[in-house]
Amino acid sequence: MTAKPVLVVASLVAGYEPDLPIVRNASLEVAAGEIVALLGPNGAGKSTLVKAVAGLVPIAGGIVRFEGRDITGRAAHRLIHEGLALVPQTENIFTKLTVGENLELAGHRVGRRLRERLAAVYALFPDLARQHRLAAGRLSGGQRQMLACARALVVEPRLLILDEPSAGLAPLMASQLFSKLAEVRAAGVTILMVEQNVRAALALADRAYLLVEGRERMSGPAATLAADPALAGLYLGTAA
Amino acid sequence: MLQLVADGLIQGAMVSLGAIGLTLTYSILRFANFTQGEFVTGGAYAALMALAGFAGMAQGPGKIGALSFGWPMLIALIIAMAATGTLALAIEWLLFARLRRHGSAITLVIASFGASLALRNLIAFAFGPQPQYFSRDLQIAIQPIPGLRVTPDQLFVLGLTSVAVVSLHIFLSRTTLGRAMRATSENPALAMLVGIDVRAVIRWTWLIGGALAAVAGIFLGLTVQLRPTMGFDLLLPLFAAAILGGIGSPYGAVLGGLLIGLAESLSVPFVGSEYRQAVGFLVMLAALLWRPQGLLGERG
Repeated sequence: MTAKPVLVVASLVAGYEPDLPIVRNASLEVAAGEIVALLGPNGAGKSTLVKAVAGLVPIAGGIVRFEGRDITGRAAHRLIHEGLALVPQTENIFTKLTVGENLELAGHRVGRRLRERLAAVYALFPDLARQHRLAAGRLSGGQRQMLACARALVVEPRLLILDEPSAGLAPLMASQLFSKLAEVRAAGVTILMVEQNVRAALALADRAYLLVEGRERMSGPAATLAADPALAGLYLGTAA
Repeated sequence: MLQLVADGLIQGAMVSLGAIGLTLTYSILRFANFTQGEFVTGGAYAALMALAGFAGMAQGPGKIGALSFGWPMLIALIIAMAATGTLALAIEWLLFARLRRHGSAITLVIASFGASLALRNLIAFAFGPQPQYFSRDLQIAIQPIPGLRVTPDQLFVLGLTSVAVVSLHIFLSRTTLGRAMRATSENPALAMLVGIDVRAVIRWTWLIGGALAAVAGIFLGLTVQLRPTMGFDLLLPLFAAAILGGIGSPYGAVLGGLLIGLAESLSVPFVGSEYRQAVGFLVMLAALLWRPQGLLGERG
């Protein structure tokens, strides 16, 4: 890892209840331009970790640094303006707003560049451009995930965090989404993604962390982890 | 018949305006705010105070056309909207914001009931229990259509309510703040993630709900009279309207308010005016049996 770290999580302790930490002393780093996958069994604390980074879950200990600045415990609505965007796993779009309203609301702070930014995300997700007047609740599952990503990308974040973007998607939709994410990275956005679909995640990612019981158990280049027989047997299922 | 419809629409307009605030605070904060009735009363008395202030200042106020009041009333309306919005904000800051950190929804409901009682008695103490009027002049009703008698003030109430409802629609659908309110009501956590300051949205919700309640109170004062219990007496129709329309839906509150007003008014020839409020509730119950989420409400 030669590029400077965009995100540094050090000894993070976090959970919804103060005396019941779900993330217990977890550390990870994401370098500029990387795609990093965060893997692990159910209940390992993957979602809680990324939500704590994004300011949605209280942090009890440890440090979160974004581009060198300490952002530990900063409110979620301020982080998006600093360049860090989270796409939650579920309920990640406003179903009662139209597709266009979702994107315009997300982009309300970019001011006069809004039109240019909307054009950019519509170019990446042409399906959404066609349906911009439709209530977002009427989109299909795959289109919802596309909208959720587009919504996060409107503000041109430098770090995009995705919580299980492929969950519940048909394999074809998931692979379409992953190829979009490769495009997003090619455009210069650093990506940290939680994934259950280990094989696909390791195929896309540069590096990966394995989180177990709130701590990182293993980390390394994606190819190395994908070939690790112990990992395959223990946590990834035979598919890996 | 035509007369009853007109009366019902006028009553319904006031219920609608008050119910919008009720449904907005419910949709953002998830609790039924009993203080909404006192925002109605507070708005009416705030306008009365503002008018008394003007009367001491200038020469005798002229009147606008055939209306019972002049320009000072319109200024008093704006002052009362601001004052009531501020009152709502103050109660949010003193009471609800603190309770939300620890309490459940039921704590907030009971606290709002307590605040309602306190405010009602405060108003009765300050202004006395006797009815008051913005103007003691008798207004001559006009007949825009044969068989329909309305006062110019009543037409003013209907007109300004329409303006308020259309403005609210444009606000919710076109402005960033309005969209942020809709977004926050659907999913506060996601609203934060897209950069919305949810606390600011909550403050605006109180301000707007309070201001619209003040308008309802002034209209009630214009067309009926001012009493310290005027808002509390309106509270049950407000709830009926908000629930009938689908609690959380501002358009539902408007529709529900008009339907409650019409149902109450149209039932008078059959059941007499003593039972008109009960008819409003029967309509609400029947509608809910047929459509439990309310007319324009969402499931779940």
